[in-house]
Amino acid sequence: MASAGSGDEKAAAAAMITLISSDNEKFEVTEATATLSQTIRHMIEDGCTDGGVPLPNVTSKILARVIEYCKKHATAAAGEEGSSSSFSDAAFLEVDRAFLEELEEFDDAFLEVDRATLFDLILAANYLDIKGLLNLTCQKVADSVKGKTPEQIREMYNIVNDLTPEEEAEIRRETQWAFE
Amino acid sequence: MVELNQLMSLLRQRRRQLHQRDRQIQDHGKPPPYGSTYSGVKRKCSPCQNDDNSLDGQTNGYSGPDLPEDIWCHIHSLMPMRDAAQTACVSRAFLGFWRCRPNLVFSEETLGLTENACIYDKSSRDFASTVCHILKNHSGVGVKTFKLEVTSVYNRQEICLVDLKNWLQIVIKPGIQELDLSLTRRIAMFNFPCSLLSDTIGDSLRHLHLASCNFHPTVSLGCLRSLTRLELCAVCIDGDELECLLSGSFALERLELKLCTGIICLKIPCLQQLSHLEVLTCTGLHAVESKAPNLSSFRFAGDLIVQLSLLGTSRIKKYERFCSGTVLYARTEVPSNMPNLETLTIFSEAETVNTPMVPSKFLHLKFLTIVLGGQTYDIFSLVSFLCASPSLETFILNVRPGRMERISLLEDPSNLRKMSEHSHNKLKRVQMINFSHVKTLVELTCHILDSTTSLECLTLDVTHGAPRCSVNKCGKCLPMRREALVEAHRALLAIQTYINPKVPSTVEFNVLEPCSRCHTVGI
Repeated sequence: MASAGSGDEKAAAAAMITLISSDNEKFEVTEATATLSQTIRHMIEDGCTDGGVPLPNVTSKILARVIEYCKKHATAAAGEEGSSSSFSDAAFLEVDRAFLEELEEFDDAFLEVDRATLFDLILAANYLDIKGLLNLTCQKVADSVKGKTPEQIREMYNIVNDLTPEEEAEIRRETQWAFE
Repeated sequence: MVELNQLMSLLRQRRRQLHQRDRQIQDHGKPPPYGSTYSGVKRKCSPCQNDDNSLDGQTNGYSGPDLPEDIWCHIHSLMPMRDAAQTACVSRAFLGFWRCRPNLVFSEETLGLTENACIYDKSSRDFASTVCHILKNHSGVGVKTFKLEVTSVYNRQEICLVDLKNWLQIVIKPGIQELDLSLTRRIAMFNFPCSLLSDTIGDSLRHLHLASCNFHPTVSLGCLRSLTRLELCAVCIDGDELECLLSGSFALERLELKLCTGIICLKIPCLQQLSHLEVLTCTGLHAVESKAPNLSSFRFAGDLIVQLSLLGTSRIKKYERFCSGTVLYARTEVPSNMPNLETLTIFSEAETVNTPMVPSKFLHLKFLTIVLGGQTYDIFSLVSFLCASPSLETFILNVRPGRMERISLLEDPSNLRKMSEHSHNKLKRVQMINFSHVKTLVELTCHILDSTTSLECLTLDVTHGAPRCSVNKCGKCLPMRREALVEAHRALLAIQTYINPKVPSTVEFNVLEPCSRCHTVGI
């Protein structure tokens, strides 16, 4: 993975962290990017990141995507800090608006993945404790049930119906208002 | 104006969300949010199924990684109320998610009752009985967010106050973080049961929003030590009761009061975290006394005679004031009171005294918005603000069209006033809403063009400035009266004749005309 800002001396000087995927691929990322993950943040705080951080639950394919997300959003976090203190609303209006729109576009494009990848991303976000990524990916699943029948949802996500027909009918009566 | 404000509040909200998200992340402890070992959501055994490329519209099964139950529970909580209820019969686990749903949001919208709204009585009964029904079957455990919004004007049948109390008893338990009770004035005033806000709630409750009810906290009320945001709208509470509540709310960051007419003296204790104070149209108010030392943003709609004594006004960066005559007040009194102000917004329905040139300065002011009316007021005298604000970058002016005719430039184009001795070299963006051919307004605009070297963008909107059909929800522009359209046409003429020739080619110049799709005028 190429590092974030080319020619950016600050970025070059910033501490780099090595992340090691389950298939032993190494990724060099800045501390700012890595610490979007609470799990890694705690490891850094505890001083146990020398020699790289092994992530046995995350494949290189998924880790690459996760890092892509973190890089983008770490920049966002940095921009936030800069703008919140001294910029006026006017400056915010101009700069942050474009930036937020870009961030939203990034998120939308980021979510254009197949279901297996999406679930892998959810699992990785959960394991690495990246709240923003977890909510983003979970929301995608939550949105996907809209307008689907229970049977369709079971099919979509391979969920076993372990309710008896009587129980199902009873729940259906209980939640009848939602179907009207 | 409205459009810009809405946009800004939207963006601010987004910014807050981003901040909040970061904060939430920081708050998080070591273990990942959802354990990743046990999965209670049973899966069908289907070894060789196709992967879907899209999540939507495909029901041909799926084989891939599975999600643990607690993540499914989280996903379920992200669904809107109706979707969440509909999925309750997917499996036993999903039923469990529904029964333990942590965020209960009841409004006609979330319950899908809006289409029925015209069936007067039925709608109200459906709403109340649906809420009753859902809460009766809810486990009552782990509710973090409870919102109840009863707003429909069609609700003839009153929601039973006893029911309301029962509902609150079910959901207000230790662990609740957000409580939002928005009632309508059509319901007899509900007495909010303060006894429910016991000390055990104080550890978790972060946001309390009450509208249209009686709220009488006493010293016996627990300390709401986690409360960061308190919003009261049309709530019957007096100053002592509020002070009593505030004195235990050490974590409070935002206090918003609107239409709470029972408050005569608003006393805010020394709350270190309080940064935003909003007091709107609390018409009984005589005085505001704040000892909160770190206030940075203050929004106030109330008479100029209300005594304001705020500690640490030098920390205030953002001030919004709504009151007739407030332009004069802002120019003469605010610079010394709030020397570090960066954003000033003033709304004056009727300004009678022209703004004087005085020596005091807004040294740090970057963003100035003025909305004003008043028949005799000389708009050109606003130059005083520009001269007093050496750091000003953005100036937005909305002159409300008045009933009486002001002098039109088109009728009297002679002797445009000039103040060439003053120059503004930070001002970048100027926007005028309700721009017209009123002579003093054109004079002000010409002055800005003549004396601003830094100008990047000038926008003259000859309409009311409301969101246009291209961006608003209903897809139509807000209607304009025939006279207003004629006026707009004359304003365009004035722009063409007097403004256009003065705009340097380096300045982005936007003239917003009435939309041709929504407004036609046969002149």
